[in-house]
Amino acid sequence: MIQDLLAEFVEAVNFPGRHAREWKKEHGGRVIGWLPADVPEELIHAAGFMPFGVPGGHSGVGLADAHLQGWVCSLARSCLALAVQGQLEFLDGLIIPHICDTTRMLGGIWQHVHPLPFMEYYRLPRQVERPSARRYLQAELQRLKSRLEEFSGREISPEQLNRSISLYNRSRSLLRTLSRLHRENPGRLGSRMFYDVVKSAMFMPREKYTGLLEKLVNCIQKEKMERPASVRIPLLLSGAVAEPPEILDMIDQAGGAVVADDMQTGYRYFAVDAPEDGDPLAALAVRQLNQIPGALFDPRNNPRAAFLVEKARNHGVAGVIFLHLKYCEPENYDYYDNQQALDRAGIPGLRLETELGTSSLEQMRTRLQAFLEMVEGTADGG
Amino acid sequence: MADKIPFRTSQLQKELMAKYYAAASEARAAGVPVAWVTAVFPVEIVYAAGVFPYYPENFGALAAARRVAGKLSEAAEARGYFYDLCGYARCGIGDAYSREHPVGVIEKPDLLLCANTQCGSLPKWFEAAARFYRASFFLLDAPLVDEGNSQMVRDYFVQQLQEMIAFLEQATGRPFDYRRLEEVLQLSNEACRLWNEILDTAALKPAPFGFFDACLHMAPIVTWRGTREAVDYYRALRREIQERVEQGIHALPGERYKLYWDHIPVWPRLKWFGELFAARGALAVASQYTHSWAYRFDPDRPLESLAENYVSAYVNHDFRRRIDLKIQLMNKYRVDGYVLFSNRSCKPNALGLYDKSNEISRLTGLPGVVFEADMADLRFFSEAQVQSKMEVLFEQLASR
Repeated sequence: MIQDLLAEFVEAVNFPGRHAREWKKEHGGRVIGWLPADVPEELIHAAGFMPFGVPGGHSGVGLADAHLQGWVCSLARSCLALAVQGQLEFLDGLIIPHICDTTRMLGGIWQHVHPLPFMEYYRLPRQVERPSARRYLQAELQRLKSRLEEFSGREISPEQLNRSISLYNRSRSLLRTLSRLHRENPGRLGSRMFYDVVKSAMFMPREKYTGLLEKLVNCIQKEKMERPASVRIPLLLSGAVAEPPEILDMIDQAGGAVVADDMQTGYRYFAVDAPEDGDPLAALAVRQLNQIPGALFDPRNNPRAAFLVEKARNHGVAGVIFLHLKYCEPENYDYYDNQQALDRAGIPGLRLETELGTSSLEQMRTRLQAFLEMVEGTADGG
Repeated sequence: MADKIPFRTSQLQKELMAKYYAAASEARAAGVPVAWVTAVFPVEIVYAAGVFPYYPENFGALAAARRVAGKLSEAAEARGYFYDLCGYARCGIGDAYSREHPVGVIEKPDLLLCANTQCGSLPKWFEAAARFYRASFFLLDAPLVDEGNSQMVRDYFVQQLQEMIAFLEQATGRPFDYRRLEEVLQLSNEACRLWNEILDTAALKPAPFGFFDACLHMAPIVTWRGTREAVDYYRALRREIQERVEQGIHALPGERYKLYWDHIPVWPRLKWFGELFAARGALAVASQYTHSWAYRFDPDRPLESLAENYVSAYVNHDFRRRIDLKIQLMNKYRVDGYVLFSNRSCKPNALGLYDKSNEISRLTGLPGVVFEADMADLRFFSEAQVQSKMEVLFEQLASR
């Protein structure tokens, strides 16, 4: 039963466009893509479109070379490469969040290289601590809502938006439960499988996904008592995306398990709900402003350092692995401060630079193994 | 360029910039807070608040021009600020951690004020600096603008200016002086007007003043904008250029072609590019970089007008609009070709340049080239590669 369920999630991740194509055929609807992170999928859903996440691709990244320099992060390059290769032919539109200089510039290039009927940006505020941020954010969400309404030809009622918020909250709550179950017995699913389940949310119609997820959570909860918890070295992963996914396999194979993270394709995706009482647009703004700390905001102090230390302590992790996309400036600027905070707290850290679509991962495996041996030794000795 | 006659105003600039660097420590000694600000920042408010603005980007450019950016950067890289980050930021962070200061010590801030109109690197650098110097940081957030959102971004910016004024009142312990702001805005207007008149002379054929000259004379419009000093400086420079026009002294004797140069110079190679172009009779005459300081404020609507001007910086527009803006400058200066600098340190300017180049050539018929380098860091400069790209452009220019 669990194996059949897991196979569905894995298939969604291995063939990301499958569900979107089927949904289009069945419903005759339109699919609106989004790039990480923080795009309010609830708005897309309430407008009657199927939201589809594009958290990177793994093939033909070099096809972006003519449009994005080699020193641009491989996440952006691989997404554009997917479009260039025709692998996103089912998209009717795309929403790109402005979370860094690259995402800020990407939309115009995309629209030039591979025009879509609907191209929009989620221009979220980069400061979140002053009253102006909330007012602007609400205006921006209103603007995005109007643009989606224009494209769909019908209004999004507050009831519809509330229903979508409720559905997304439900799936996020289930993901938080699954995340807790995974932490309690990380050998049950393994890191790769856990993050595949999270990621498949981005590729499936949310109703269907939530149903499958509910079944999975129930099954794991039921068998919980029967299976002994396996021993793994608990780790925290920090960065934008858990890519390339082979890194998760390597961690699993080396006896580790990712039990906490702050990733856009991980905890950041399901950490925070939108309130369900009151004005739904205001609720989406609240969700954004309450998001966990990340490199995409520019706060007065880097609250992410304290967040990482607290999370590492709460979940008893043996070490933190920074998974940084090569050329990602926001992550790199915060790295020194984050690493310093870990040092002060006595938590070992390892920084790995990753690229999507890269073929050579063996060096990374060696470094991962060495790090795991080191933290395991420390844990034993301490 | 051996026979090029130096501008006598250059001496004045040396004095003015020496005065600027001394002014920061004098200000601090007099109890005036020193605030780091970004180049495209409503500094008018900072002056009106009685705070001294210091431009760390200028420090980066200076370190780059003196070819010590790589050395300063090492101290930053050793701490995990890797060389994929902005070259200016690595100079600034590197200097903070260095014992050696080849271009003087970067001024310690009491406050850090940052606008992200130019890029997202500046706020991350300023945040890191705020932690290092234990000073407070204020971000003026400017989302990218297009027809669909320009009014809401302006409203957002105005509200943030009000928040910043309150922040500065708290820092100085004095109420904000709106009458002083009006004076500063007028001084800024005047300096910008003079600066743009000067830039316009590059359209004359042959021209008395080109883009590389502008790079050597732009420090005051960045660092002294809003003061009498900037106005006096650009009056003197305009006078000197006027004299040169009358005397027939040209920026490039035997000027054959005018080129549009996109973005900033490769500071440590400024002279090399100048000579390479001069040898082929090509003069770079305009760039969005030097044309960025073209503000026109309405002192009767100070905050709204500051928001309008600073939010609509070239770099804060979308792909299409930025192509239009480049072509407008090309047309105005009647250029024969263009050079687009894909600057590794500056994603907002560099991303999309290859597609933009195709579009520009399609729309204007002009030949052009995109080259790869870094504004500060010579580790990313391949002379042979850049030169061969330029040779292709020169051949195209010659065959037209």
